[in-house]
Amino acid sequence: MISKEDLEHLAQISRINLTEYELEKFPKQLDKTIEYIDILGELASDDSVNLDLQELRFEELRTDEIRMSNNKQLNKNITEDGFLRGPKMK
Amino acid sequence: MTKLDDLLAYEVVEGLTEGQFTAEEYVISILKRIEEVEPKIHSFITLDTEGALSSAKLIDKKIREKEDIGQLAGVTVGIKDNISTKGIKTTCASKILENYVPTYDATVIRNLKENGAILLGKLNLDEFGMGSTTEYSRYHPTHNPWNLDYVPGGSSGGSGAAVAAGECTVALGSDTGGSIRCPSSFCSVVGLKPTYGRVSRSGLISYANSLEQIGPICRSVKDLVMMLNIISGKDAMDNTSMPSSPITVPNKSNKLNVAVIKELITDSDQEVAKSVYSTSEKFQEIGCSCEEVSIKNLHYALPSYYTLASAEASSNLARYDNIRYGFDYPIGEYKWDTYFSNVRENFGEEVKRRILIGSYVLSSGYYGKYYLKARRLRSLLRLELLTLFKKYDVLIGPTMPILPFKFGEKIDDPIKMYLVDVNTVIANLAGIPAISLPIGFSNGLPIGLQIMAAPFEEQKLIDASYELERVIDIQRRPNLI
Amino acid sequence: MSMVMIGLEIHAQITALNSKLFCSCRGNYRDLRPNRNICEICCGLPGSLPNINQKAIEYSTMTSIALGCKVPDKIMFYRKNYFYPDLPKNFQITQYNVDGISSIGIDGKYELDDSKQIRISRIQLEEDPGRIVYSEGGMNVRNTALIDYNRAGVALIEIVTEPDFTGPREVRQFLNKLSLTLEHLGVCDTLLEGSVRCDVNVSMNGGNKVEIKNINSFKEVEKAINYEITRQSSVYNRNLSIEHETRHWDDKKKITFKARSKEEEHDYRYFPEPDIPVIVLGSDFVANLKERMPELPNQRFERFKLKYKLSEHTSNILINDKKLADFFESTLKLHFSPTEIANILVTDFKSLIENDNESTDYLKNLKVKPEHIAELAKLIEGNKISRITAKDILVKIFESGKLPSEVVNSSNSYKIADEKTIMDAVQSVFDTEKSAVEDAKKNTEAINFLLGKVMKFTNGRADPKIARRLINSKLSDPEKQ
Ligand SMILES: [Zn+2]
Repeated sequence: MISKEDLEHLAQISRINLTEYELEKFPKQLDKTIEYIDILGELASDDSVNLDLQELRFEELRTDEIRMSNNKQLNKNITEDGFLRGPKMK
Repeated sequence: MTKLDDLLAYEVVEGLTEGQFTAEEYVISILKRIEEVEPKIHSFITLDTEGALSSAKLIDKKIREKEDIGQLAGVTVGIKDNISTKGIKTTCASKILENYVPTYDATVIRNLKENGAILLGKLNLDEFGMGSTTEYSRYHPTHNPWNLDYVPGGSSGGSGAAVAAGECTVALGSDTGGSIRCPSSFCSVVGLKPTYGRVSRSGLISYANSLEQIGPICRSVKDLVMMLNIISGKDAMDNTSMPSSPITVPNKSNKLNVAVIKELITDSDQEVAKSVYSTSEKFQEIGCSCEEVSIKNLHYALPSYYTLASAEASSNLARYDNIRYGFDYPIGEYKWDTYFSNVRENFGEEVKRRILIGSYVLSSGYYGKYYLKARRLRSLLRLELLTLFKKYDVLIGPTMPILPFKFGEKIDDPIKMYLVDVNTVIANLAGIPAISLPIGFSNGLPIGLQIMAAPFEEQKLIDASYELERVIDIQRRPNLI
Repeated sequence: MSMVMIGLEIHAQITALNSKLFCSCRGNYRDLRPNRNICEICCGLPGSLPNINQKAIEYSTMTSIALGCKVPDKIMFYRKNYFYPDLPKNFQITQYNVDGISSIGIDGKYELDDSKQIRISRIQLEEDPGRIVYSEGGMNVRNTALIDYNRAGVALIEIVTEPDFTGPREVRQFLNKLSLTLEHLGVCDTLLEGSVRCDVNVSMNGGNKVEIKNINSFKEVEKAINYEITRQSSVYNRNLSIEHETRHWDDKKKITFKARSKEEEHDYRYFPEPDIPVIVLGSDFVANLKERMPELPNQRFERFKLKYKLSEHTSNILINDKKLADFFESTLKLHFSPTEIANILVTDFKSLIENDNESTDYLKNLKVKPEHIAELAKLIEGNKISRITAKDILVKIFESGKLPSEVVNSSNSYKIADEKTIMDAVQSVFDTEKSAVEDAKKNTEAINFLLGKVMKFTNGRADPKIARRLINSKLSDPEKQ
């Protein structure tokens, strides 16, 4: 069972505020979802199954070359010095 | 002659090349169609009228000057609004990205532009691709062109509805657990989820990276082949992309070994099951063999899908803290983590639910119980399917277990909503290609057939679909006006 | 005496790389205007995907080999999920050792000078976060964070040891040796600001482990450990128990302080990075790399002793300063006289550079090049100048950058071997130092005094052997001219 405290903890580690309405409604809904995925517990923990779908050879990786972009990726909250202004840290 | 706005993609390219009409005339006819039907459908989030018209004029100029115009010249394309378009807002139908304008084009967008396609605008979806109806769009739901009271499917509901309603020649969607095939089925159009790795994901705003692919939604199989070939290929910007050979439109009929997945039919609505059975008979009529098979691990597919998709989503969506880009929410006096939580309160309900579930299944103590088991199931399922594909060319079943439903029918019960994806998630988990093809109607509501093949065997899907498309005689355009 | 166990977690940037770990922005982010070394990937724009740098894998493999680690055939990347404003995606791509796949290096051993072995638990490749500058006060800036992403995505090698150190002295030895190794491999210029960082865990008398974070240079590590040992001892002596906690190093006040408890609650929710497939290094990878790998410090040490016949002491001084050892070998290429050149470099040359140089790349900005030292050695060996003169000449060429021969010519510094000239000097000394001459007739020790005077008289240019011979003969035969 997901208690209101569990939910608050999940919301905290996910950095999401929940509305009163969601705090009320979510425990039951998430419970049902978790109950639904609990069926995975029936599967054996077989280590012999290779879990990886894709492989990439070393030779295919990007070579170490510089290619500068236009640096226009950030365009809000930029100070005169070019720093990005974030919220308070303390 | 067919009305301009009713032309298929390959007919547009032919018509332009032969000088039957100009690109500008064609785009104007499409824009007029949008003006007429969009108030009923609501498939667009952003419409770029000016951009489309100026691209069209450029193509006309190239034609006059006898320059190369590209394989998709003049074809109007609607883009699901989770695919990055440089200079055009890309919102993911979320409040969080309502002002976000990408500084780069997704690789698929570059491919389209290079081939003369005309971008019309951005199409509606469930927020970040999480949903099966477009009801979770932050802006508005999209309506099913075949019956406006019904959902168009999702999450690429805008793409499915726009193509069906003739608001664009073709569209791009993305498919994480069925998001191309579900709306294709509900809107009676052709939609393909390619093999994982065939199409670059660079620029596709991630919901669940290990499952999703960009794919085309079209009104004909031939159009779909054109689109697929242009967006496919290994891309240096996506380490998971792989090279593939081009697909051709078959010029002779191929005798395929077809197998119907039994469970997918028995668990479907009667009307849907009936329609799929009669299609399997059509396969036999055109000379294919058709047997029934069972998939042992099917039962675990959907729980596994929701575990993996939510886990990946919880991490992918962590970056939306509104510091670097986002919507208007002043920094004020908030401490950083309070600010993050406040900002992220603006995710929609379904997105929040999946993030919370994702955080839960990855938490220490639960990782082995859920996440690892889900990955294991995924490998088992893939192995099982690969074994079946040694014997059969394609596996078929209904794309959706049910007919399109009315707005609000499932929105209050997440599990009920998740269950509609049960047939489609198989292909995402296994990384195999799957197509949804229109096969009929029940009470005016569309039914789609899902065909799956082994990895990179898209050609077999096309062979099967192209044949079926010719023998299935159904209404191709909804009566909207 | 209490028992101390110390373990280290070292982060070293791969400063040798041209580009970042997952994008093509510059690896050298230093001295750039904030946020001018960024792209879609390293500032985490929606839809961007990591594109891994081949060379980073090579460098981290070399480091693993040098630290005696096993390098697996396949490696994987993981996501470490936590929120922080310097982390553009709010997760870090790193490595993790679970599910049977490991990071780039595991189970290593590294020997200290007294043959004590330190076990290396693992080495992993990961991305550096951005940088936060805290602005304090001021009406306009408030207490906001100022963020610069130029560093975000720079490749880091994390080296984690077992708690095998028993005191700060061993830690210092290890870090010195590690720096030397990283420099020899060309992986990391450890003298660059912020290129190496260290977290330390300290436990005493089998008690709880205390982690100290944020130590931003190797120099500070010893101080932090000493502080922590004193602090824990005093807690222990008061019969209080030491809490398992995370503390931070304040390098201004030189103390550790307790982190707020919230920061300790991290559950990083690791899971495999879906955007990077498993990377197959192949079975020959390590063997091939070993062949191409630069020489390690201890190999070089042995070579210096063997090939150049240098003493252990001289070899050690050279090896412990890689740039000096490189300079030495460049000089040898011009003039092969190992003993003479090593002698110049480890004595006068070294004391000169230590006097006026604190900068990291001192040899690069130096006016003296191997050409100068080679010529200087030739002049000494050709008996053209005395060793005493050589030192003065070195000072002059340090200032002017002129070649030794030029300096010698212009300042008339050639060694005086002409007996007549030296005899004149001896005569002058005998004239002025009458009592010393008398002393010297009885006491041979006093001869050195006279010799010193003669050398001084000739500005150090007289050939001391000839001068001594002339003094001796004049003492026994005062009339001799
Ligand atoms: Zn970058």
